[in-house]
Order: sequence, then structure tokens, then C-alpha cells
Amino acid sequence: MDFKLPENTTMIADTARRYLKDNYSFDSYIAQLNESNHLEANRWQAMNDLGWFGLPFAESVGGYGGSLLDVCAIVQELGAALCLDPFVDLIVSPGKLLEFANTPTSLALLDRIISGEARVACGLYDRHAGYHVLNPSLRLNGERLSGQKHVVSDGGVADAVLVSAMSGDELAIVALPFDACDVERYRLLDGSRAASLTLDDVLITDEMVLCRGDAAKQAVSAWFDYLCALDCARMYGACREVYQATLEYARTRKQFGTTIGSFQVIQHYLVDAFIDLQQLESMLLMVSVKGESANVCERGRATAAAKAYYANRAVGITQQGIQIHGGVGVTEELNIGHYFRLVTHASLSHGDREHHMSRFIQAGEKQNEVV
Amino acid sequence: MNLDFSNDEKEFRKSIRQWMKENVPDDIRRCTARGAMPDKNMQQRWERLLGSQGWLTSTWPEQFGGPGWSATQRYIFDQERASAGAPPTSPFGVAMVGPVLYTFGSEAQKERWLPGIQRGETLWCQGYSEPNAGSDLASLKTRATRNGDHYLVNGQKIWTTQAHWADMMFCLVRTDSTVKQQQGISFLLIDMKTPGLEVRPIYSIDGHHHLNEVYFTDVKVPVENLVGQEGMGWTIAKFLLTHERTTIAGVADIHYEINRLKSAIDALPTETDKQLAVRRLAGLEVDLMALEYTNFRTVAATDEGKPFGPESSGLKIKGTELQQRVSQAMVEIGGLMSLPWDNEEPIGEQIFNQASRRYNFLRACTIYGGSNEIQKNVLAKMLLGL
Repeated sequence: MDFKLPENTTMIADTARRYLKDNYSFDSYIAQLNESNHLEANRWQAMNDLGWFGLPFAESVGGYGGSLLDVCAIVQELGAALCLDPFVDLIVSPGKLLEFANTPTSLALLDRIISGEARVACGLYDRHAGYHVLNPSLRLNGERLSGQKHVVSDGGVADAVLVSAMSGDELAIVALPFDACDVERYRLLDGSRAASLTLDDVLITDEMVLCRGDAAKQAVSAWFDYLCALDCARMYGACREVYQATLEYARTRKQFGTTIGSFQVIQHYLVDAFIDLQQLESMLLMVSVKGESANVCERGRATAAAKAYYANRAVGITQQGIQIHGGVGVTEELNIGHYFRLVTHASLSHGDREHHMSRFIQAGEKQNEVV
Repeated sequence: MNLDFSNDEKEFRKSIRQWMKENVPDDIRRCTARGAMPDKNMQQRWERLLGSQGWLTSTWPEQFGGPGWSATQRYIFDQERASAGAPPTSPFGVAMVGPVLYTFGSEAQKERWLPGIQRGETLWCQGYSEPNAGSDLASLKTRATRNGDHYLVNGQKIWTTQAHWADMMFCLVRTDSTVKQQQGISFLLIDMKTPGLEVRPIYSIDGHHHLNEVYFTDVKVPVENLVGQEGMGWTIAKFLLTHERTTIAGVADIHYEINRLKSAIDALPTETDKQLAVRRLAGLEVDLMALEYTNFRTVAATDEGKPFGPESSGLKIKGTELQQRVSQAMVEIGGLMSLPWDNEEPIGEQIFNQASRRYNFLRACTIYGGSNEIQKNVLAKMLLGL
């Protein structure tokens, strides 16, 4: 076994960290939080220049052939910086779904994402189906799409959306323009922008259906696992910052004439956070590799375990971070509470803890069948 | 990044698995499967068997008689050992006094004591804790007074695991009370048969005898049994804390326990009981996975020549907590079946019959070897700089 990051991944991580340090402060975040359009032209161009738009995709489809590990390295830094630029929502998420769908139409659209022209979001969730992405409530009857999509993360700017729908017993992925739907836009827990879409007998054409049946299922399932791994990366970056900031605070904040870090109970909280962070890092490394494994059962078991673990311990670190900061920890003006919201958000997107515990149990049963 | 074992390592695993299948004695395998602890005879038979293969001291460097395995191979060996239902080996000789002797001991001491540990013939116990020196070990009072060619040892040790089995004790004693606490401590090897040394049993809440009090009244210990110099005892004790701890988390044995518990779920009364048990076990398995991958990282780092230092305390803390949680889950999932204490025939699934004893026994694991709170104090100071 070897847990060293490849040199290339380390370079990508370093570049991302430096770029965000120079270009994205807490003030940038607060400014963006108050905007409904999260696509800031200069930074968007800079990310394109850094090669991030092509990185997640295979060379055979016009990408730069980066691994999930590489993308996790970037997303970790985005989490650490609280960055709301919709890199995942408008590039990685729709791009990976299109790549996994792997049809001429989907790859043509992927091309336009990589070049930075397209503003496409993913609409794979609705409140009726919850996290069960293989059984959405949206219905495709003949040429008509009806139903709802919720929490369509789009940076507030998407003009097209990839939706999943059931066509009889068959899953289908359909690309359609936003303006075919009734759109309600809002902010999410982590400060990012999203929309609810209502489709009322929307007429679609054959070429708008990207894929169907098993092909669609496999694509959505691979997409789901990939996005789970990115959730973990984002949470790890945030937890890393909260831990560092809290440790620093404990070293400097004085009460009763001494630093609070000299109190044993605070020391033990921080050691707990240190150990949890170490284990979160282990789980991130694991899921960054296995989250794109060709073995579907192993892939699902890995992402389920990682997300379930993060929903418990990553959330725990940020809760404790607030506790140790005391009153200032619950204020909007300090970053700690914002990290807490980010981590809580990421623990609930793409499957919450119980959803992943169920997946983990099912994957274990399947594994036993194979053995 | 590579999360797979190499082909050579897979071959190694196969050969160890085969050997375990053919060589773990049936009575020992049955004892572990029942959740019971091996008695002295079983423990020693097993250690001698490993000793005869040269595998008992697998963590030792080759020059002192280790098999020359990598940390990964040692880890694989431990996994196969546990899944074959064989007990962990006693740490006192192999993992504690052995490394002390080949690091700090004289040539004569190495020659005298290492072979017996290697072959599983000499059983050791650890004389550290005292009635008033538990977590605050440096305040220990048992004193050794130099008297010509020997020391006279007087005082008392407590919580001495397996002192009633042991041939030898390695012991921290105070040789100088005029200097700073830590600097007045020395490391002595004491023959358990020496006149004036008395072992009294302490029964634990699992109903068994593991622990003892050891009393010293003018116990004569030859000066050649002093390891290193007088006053080096504390340095040696600290060395052991950072010595290789790649299996300290007990991952292999926790896997074995979880699998044992899984195999018993069908014996539960209702579907709801079974579902709740499956859910609870899955939570433990996820936590075990996080511990296991952290453990893999320490193993891989050790093989690269960059062993984890105090960070590995995290493995001890999380590992012991998880051992306790699994043992508690077993008792609670067994419910009524976990209540009988000294019956011959289990009233239900065999696995639950010893579960409460094991649960009681494992309350000690967050206390021994430096309580988890002490581990946290050390980490806060050494790693966090608090």
C-alpha cells in the first residue's frame, strides 16, 4: 500500500491553495453570499486558465485526464476557503454525468462545458424521491415531462439542466433549457444558489433524451458516488481550517488569567478533533481512490462508509469548533459558523448519514453474495 | 496512491492463512470463538508454537532474531492470526522488555534473556503501577538500594497482569530520591522466584484472575540485572511509548469480534431485533474502517522508514474505545442471552454466553497502558503544543 499523493496531485493542491489564498478571502465569500449570481467573471476565467474545467474528464472526451484524487484536491481547497464559485455545480457535476452517459449528444454538450461556454446544472433530486436517485418522481410520458425537481444547484446562473425521470420502469436522463420549467431560485444552507423546477407537460424531443435504461442507471450511480467523494473532500478542507483556527484560538484566548488551551478539558476536545481529523483524512484518501473504482459494489460501499463517517465526525469537529470559540462562534461575522453550515450542508447533500448506512448494509450483503 | 496489497504480500497472506488453518490448536480456536480468554497453558503453547517458527518476535530486527518482515507483512500476519481464532501474544516479553533489552541492554543481558522470549519460554510481567502511582507513574516509591553486588528492593506494585504466570518481571524502581522524580528511576529485571517477593491475586469484574499485587521485602536483585544506567528508567519507559505500535489499535481482533457478532444475528427473536442489530453493527464497521485506514497509513509509513510518532496514540485511543463499543453491542444485542454468568450450557446463541464477561474485562482497555486521558494529555503537549 502507498498513501503518498502523486506528485501531480500535490501540485494541483498547492496551486489551488495558492490561487484561493490570493484571490478568495473571507470578505470575497461574504460578498458572494449576498449575490444571487455566483458566477464571478474574473475568477471563473482564472479557474478555466488553471485548467480546472478539463481536469475531471478523460482525455478521450476532451478533458485533461485528472483522477478523482486530483479533483478532490481542488474541492478540498474550495471547502477550506469557503469558496462559493460553482466549479462543482456547473463543471464537475454535470460534466461527469455527461461523461458517464457517454453518448454523442452528451459528449457534445460536455465539450461546451469544458470550453466554458455552457451553463448546465444537474437536477437529479426531488423531495418525493429524496436521495433515491435511481427512482425520481419526474415522469416522462411519451414526449411529455411532468413533475418537480428540487435543490438544483446551479450557481444561480444555469440556463440548461440535466434531469432524471422515470419513463415507465426505465430511468432516463434528459437535457432541457431552464426556461421550459417554472423556476424558483433560492439560497441553500451553505450559501450556494439553487432552484426548484416545476415541469408541467413539457414537450421534449428525442435528441433531448441523453440515455435510458441501464445506461442511465449506471451513469447516475457513478455520478452519485463521484459526488459523494467530493462532498467528503469539501468537508475535509473545512474541518482542517476549523481545527487549525480553534487550536490557534485556544492558544491565544485568555480567561481566568491564562489561555483556555491550558485547561485540560479544552486540550482533550482538541486532541479528539486532531484524532478525528486524522481518521477523516484516511477516509478521504480511501474514498478518493475507491470512489471511481470499476468494481461497482466496492465503489458504493466505500462512498457509503465515507459519507456516513463524515456526517458523524466532520459535523462533530465543526460543532466542537463553535463550542470552544464560545459566543463569537455563533456569530455571522466569524468564519467558524460558516464552516459549520458548509459541513452540515455537505453531510446532507448526496445522501445523509442514515441513507448511507442503508447503502453500506446493502453493499455488504451484495459483497457476501459475490463471495 | 495504491490501496492494494502487492502480489508478494497476497502470496504471503495465503501461506500464513494455510499455516494458521493447519496449526492453530482446536482447543484454542474454540476458546476464542466462545469469547473466552486462553488459560496459561493455551497461551504458552500458542506462543511456543509461534516461537518455533521464528514468528513470535516478528517485530524485532533481523539481527536480534526477527523474521525480517515488513510492517505490512506483520500487519497481514496479525489479520490472519486473528481471523483464524488465535489469541494475541502477551506483550510483556515480545513487545516490551525485548526491545528494551536489544536497545539498552548489555551484551550479556541480550544473550541471557532474548532467546527465552524468542522461543516463548520465559514469561514476563510489567512492574510499573503502584497503589499511589497509577497515571502519575513518575511518583512511584518502590525503592532499590545498592548493597555491594546486588540491590535490595522494597515496596509494592499493583495491577500486575500475569504476575502469577510470569518467570520474570521488568520493574521501575526508585534508586535515588534526592533528584527530580523522573531522574531517580531505574529499570530492573527481577526473578519472580526470589525470596521476599510475594504475589497476591486481584479478581477482575469479569470474574477472572488476570491482575495481581506484588510485594517486595528485601528482595535481592543482582546488579547485572540493571538495564542501562541507574536513573535511566524513565527514558526507557518513554522509549516504549513510542516504540512501534502498528497493531496497537487491535483492528484485526475487532474484525473478528464483529464477524462473531454478525454470525449470531439470526438467533435474535424478531425481524426488528435483527434489523436494529444489523444497523448497529454497520455503524461499528464504518468506524472500524476509518481506524483501519489510519492504521494502514501508519503501516505504510513505517515501511517507508517514516514511522508515526506520538500520532499513533490516536490508534490506541480509538481502538480501545471501539473494542469497548463492540463488546457492549454484543451484550446489548444478546439481551436476555447475555445474562447467564456461570452456566455450562448457553440458553441461546453460544456467542452471547461469554459476552458479558468480555464486556466487563474490556472496561480495562481504556485504562491500561496509559489511560486514554493520559494519552490525550501527552498528545496535547507533544503534538498540539498546548
